Amino acid sequence: MYVIGKREFISLFKGIKSCIVIAILLITSYYSAKFADFLISGIELSAKEAENIHTFGLLGLLLFLGQLFIAGLSHDTINQETHERTMRFLVTRTSRTSILLGKFFGIWMFWFSCLTVSFLLTSIFAQKIDFFIFSQTISLVTIQISFTILLSVLIPKPGFTMFLGIVFGLAFPILGFWVVFTSNVWVSWMKFFTPFYYLERDDFTFIVIFILSGVILFFANFIFKRREC
Amino acid sequence: MIAIETKQLKKSYGSVPIVKGIDLIVEKGEIFGFLGRNGAGKSTFINILTDIIQPSFGTYSLLGVEGPNDQVKKRVGVMPDYSTLYGSLTAMEHLKYLSALSGKPAGKEWCLEVLKLVGLESHARKKVAKFSFGMKKKLGIALAIIHDPELLFLDEPTSGLDAESAIHIHKLIRGLQKRGKTIFMTSHNLAEVEKLCTRIAIMKEGQIVKSGTMDELRDFYRSTIKVKIKHSPVPKSEQLNLHQWLESAGTDLEMNDPYVTITVNDEKRIAEIIRAFQQCRADVLRVEVEEPSLEDIFLDE
Repeated sequence: MYVIGKREFISLFKGIKSCIVIAILLITSYYSAKFADFLISGIELSAKEAENIHTFGLLGLLLFLGQLFIAGLSHDTINQETHERTMRFLVTRTSRTSILLGKFFGIWMFWFSCLTVSFLLTSIFAQKIDFFIFSQTISLVTIQISFTILLSVLIPKPGFTMFLGIVFGLAFPILGFWVVFTSNVWVSWMKFFTPFYYLERDDFTFIVIFILSGVILFFANFIFKRREC
Repeated sequence: MIAIETKQLKKSYGSVPIVKGIDLIVEKGEIFGFLGRNGAGKSTFINILTDIIQPSFGTYSLLGVEGPNDQVKKRVGVMPDYSTLYGSLTAMEHLKYLSALSGKPAGKEWCLEVLKLVGLESHARKKVAKFSFGMKKKLGIALAIIHDPELLFLDEPTSGLDAESAIHIHKLIRGLQKRGKTIFMTSHNLAEVEKLCTRIAIMKEGQIVKSGTMDELRDFYRSTIKVKIKHSPVPKSEQLNLHQWLESAGTDLEMNDPYVTITVNDEKRIAEIIRAFQQCRADVLRVEVEEPSLEDIFLDE
């Protein structure tokens, strides 16, 4: 698990796509923090929101585009290896659970590192690190990574997961916020299955997102164990 | 000690059976050859044993442990049938990555030693994307042995290799056997299997139709022994008698003076043929008995 995770983590830093995503994260963090005072004067915000204005840009970016970024970088984390048959070398040496968890932790560590740097950058302007929002952000990327891995296990063709990654990346935030705020009883129950419902609350219910991520990973592992390589 | 044991191992895709209930035992220290035409189910069988695919029915054990088992994987080396390698990694990086994955991280010196064994020592830092097919095959073997496994699965280890490289790999396989390793290999090269393997199984349409040592297989096929006899001239008065007798003694009779070729179904017949020549006042100058080759046995199946 550690060996696969390490390789996944390092390989994520090598691609041009990763460089672009890291640049977007850092630029968004820097400018949203730098122009935080300007934002406060321009839009109406609650006291709590105003207090966290420095991380507002970064959290917003990940809420709306996080799934797209993660799918863009890691949509083929499993199915590319299956497609190119390199997965055969892996499954003959270690357990499928170790492969899946290794991939997950490699990607997770990449995002954890990027977000840590981004939050440190904003802390220069905010003069503090908000661990609550940081934890919320980590919970969001955790479920987005789990979902991306599930897609990569479910769909054998890497080209198709790229397409679906874009579709879900764009559709999820829209549908997610809709089910959270809608009064339609037929769909509002779905809010319990989206991270947005738990992130919208100012308490520690965002921990449920980690549990949901675990369920998604468990399901992905269940399928992966039965898949031919 | 048993290295591989399968009980009624089956694999079907939908209603199409690929492997039809294989019972097999491979002892430790053997080089076991698995033969069969394309599509016979050889690779599917290996893929089940190496956890690449799941069986539809039946059980198997490797090194005494029921599979699939993740701990046993660390004691098993596999060279899959395809050149399944990472194009962006070098040969050395491959060895380091996959040995670490097997729980025995290989140092630089051991990696170079293994690359030397397969004849790739001068390509250690070359990206695999630039490797030829034969070089990928060699690296596949290096990856299979890098963690010093007890049991090796080699799927067509020398296909696509030049003669010199193939001989080099044969030596390597024999050397591994001498060190107590068990090798389970498939091959299309019958001469290779005949030369290397201590036991052989022939697979046809998902089933093992014959298995045993080369001698056991030959014994089974000794019912058809081809005999070539060189003799002194047969007197004209005896020629018809001899011809009639030989026709009754065997099949595929060919008489081209001074040679007679005949296929008999019993070794004892050879002595009778020699006596028949003597009774017809002709001397037998030379007798050549053609043992059934693996090719004969394979083609017959």
